[in-house]
Amino acid sequence: MTEPNPTPASSAPDDDWQRVHPASPFVRGWFALAAFAYFFGRDTLERMLQGRPLIDDYLNARVLWLALGGAALLLLTVVGFVLSWFFTRYQVSGGYVRVTSGLLFRQHRQARLDRVQAIDIVQPLLARIFGLAELKFEVADAGESAVRLAYLRLKDAKQLRATILARASGAETTTAARVIGAGPPAVQRIQGAPGAAGPHGDLAGIDGSGAEPGHAPASGTEPAPASLGPGLPGSQIPASVAPTLLPREAPEWRVLTVPPQRLLGSLVLSEQTVFIVLGAATSVVVSVLTESVAFAFALIPAILGIAANYWGSFNRGFNFTAAISPDGIRLRYGLLDTRAQTLPPGRIQAIKIHQPPLWRLLGWYRMQVNVAGYGGPSAASESSSRTMLLPVGLKNDVFAMLSLVLPDPGTGQPDEVFTAGMAGLGGRSGVFDGGFVITPRRARLIAPLGWRRNGFTATDTALLLRSGRWWRELVVVPHQRTQSMALQQGPIARRFGVADVVLHTTPGPVTARLIQADVEAALALFDAQAARAREARSRQTSEQWLAQVAPAHVPSSPQTQEGPQHG
Amino acid sequence: MPTEAIDPPGIQWLRVSPTYVTVRLVEWVVGNLLAVALFSVPLLLVLLGAWRWLPLWLAVALPAGMFLLALWRLVLIPRQVRAIGYAERDDDLLIRRGIFFQRVLVVPYGRMQYVDVSVGPVERGLGLCTIKLHTASVATSAQIPGLPAAEGARLREQLTARGEARLAGL
Repeated sequence: MTEPNPTPASSAPDDDWQRVHPASPFVRGWFALAAFAYFFGRDTLERMLQGRPLIDDYLNARVLWLALGGAALLLLTVVGFVLSWFFTRYQVSGGYVRVTSGLLFRQHRQARLDRVQAIDIVQPLLARIFGLAELKFEVADAGESAVRLAYLRLKDAKQLRATILARASGAETTTAARVIGAGPPAVQRIQGAPGAAGPHGDLAGIDGSGAEPGHAPASGTEPAPASLGPGLPGSQIPASVAPTLLPREAPEWRVLTVPPQRLLGSLVLSEQTVFIVLGAATSVVVSVLTESVAFAFALIPAILGIAANYWGSFNRGFNFTAAISPDGIRLRYGLLDTRAQTLPPGRIQAIKIHQPPLWRLLGWYRMQVNVAGYGGPSAASESSSRTMLLPVGLKNDVFAMLSLVLPDPGTGQPDEVFTAGMAGLGGRSGVFDGGFVITPRRARLIAPLGWRRNGFTATDTALLLRSGRWWRELVVVPHQRTQSMALQQGPIARRFGVADVVLHTTPGPVTARLIQADVEAALALFDAQAARAREARSRQTSEQWLAQVAPAHVPSSPQTQEGPQHG
Repeated sequence: MPTEAIDPPGIQWLRVSPTYVTVRLVEWVVGNLLAVALFSVPLLLVLLGAWRWLPLWLAVALPAGMFLLALWRLVLIPRQVRAIGYAERDDDLLIRRGIFFQRVLVVPYGRMQYVDVSVGPVERGLGLCTIKLHTASVATSAQIPGLPAAEGARLREQLTARGEARLAGL
């Protein structure tokens, strides 16, 4: 069980087992090397700077042992690096990506291509200097964190991403990309009978006559992908799934860029800044009153922390660029560490448009999304940047991004409805409020500011929930993405005849909660939404999203990615 | 149990087994006796004279307050159990619970990823089980405790069959 079987029918070059770039462990383990260099180099450097002899009597006696020990340690590290490189291999074939690694503890991971949720190219600073990149993709069915390939040459990483995306999602394959997450593993567990092919009835029914004849039956007969193990026989995977030609990287069209000034401005106008100004004023007053400066020194760590925080936000959000390509939305950002994310829009579960009070002065908004697989509680800062759809943007930018993630707004007057959602206030007669149903007037005691903001409206394709008078928020949940719903009511809410409706979505920064709605309205919404979600699921059209977006952003692009379709 | 304001109209709730009260009672005893015992430690120390800074009335009030709270919870248990209900509709499962803080949850069959059936030691003794539904959202937390084993098995089969028929993507 040490060597996974290679796919027998693999003739295409990308079907072979490949290794990552030899420099990878050094780039990844640079810290160990740096510590090593620091440990041995510091003393020498100090001596040189002080003009002392490099080796004095005290050291002379031990220099041999020191050198030997150091050399041994260095050798061990390097050998470890080389071994770890040698035993890390990956393969893309037969609808799967497989990665094996480890010498003593062998690890074998595989992920189904048609379950790929999103794919990132990450370049930490050092990797960037060497022109390397890490490829990282989220898979809905594995139940574990992302599969990582580190490091590849940037060109190879892009090529591989194009291959994976072309096979996995919109541009090339129309099958199976939609049926994710709740597919085989779920059914396996429900049925308790491995190998059952039940759930793909709908898949074959909708897509079976589609572009790839080999695919629909394939996904019906494949073994459960949850059974991650080294010994999966490759013979079960039809070789016809793998196209022999390498797809080129899909072309893209830029949608928007966030200028650095605006990013800076958004940081300056954040709530954090208000606290800092308040804190600074307080500390000045305190130091004047107590006539002591020592107090200020205690603040240094806090200042450092705040500066690091600002720097982190700036570093992450710098040069944020959104583009659209046949395989998804491309997001690029980062000053020192850059990241290029590809987000298939059909994978977006919920969208939040948020406006803190200070941003209202300049009409800025922030957009965040929930993507299945992204929102894990670990790596908080990383996931917070990955779920950012737009760090700061004007209303036009928001609408541009919305048109990508929600191609069909499902209403005749999207401008009015979404504007009302982002900034509107209900309760005024004669003013169109986008059809938002707000908190009843009788409940204004428990929501004195927000009661005219709290509201919901449903278009044909999505449910819009808005809230917050000062911290304005609009949450958009496409109907077919609703997982489950709850109606909640506490004792106080009962007295005022209001209730909350919570839409459950995959983990992420967006929580879809309608607060303090009239009980009757909430009940009606509860029922109607269940029906809408049911109907939307039965006619899921996320595959055609590019076709829906194309007229707006892509004038004429029939030549984009249709080439290497059939294997 | 009359239908509450937030219950969708026209729903015939199926209630969980009344013996589930026993399970809750055992949980109550374990949880609350421990808490009361813990809060009695200061009283003991004061009575033994080890702690002189704590006034006696406060040392008495702590466990007494805990005890009253526990009693209150005890009184609520039968009502809470009676408030748990579920209903199978054509396309989704409804679960309700709570008296003061009520919640009605709807889980579409097509969204279920898998169904868990778990049996604790006390539940086993009483022939009960707990069914838990999982969707792609961790917030769902849809569970029906205190089902008779036969009903639990029936429900699991039923949910599985329906989920299979209506399975949707993420």
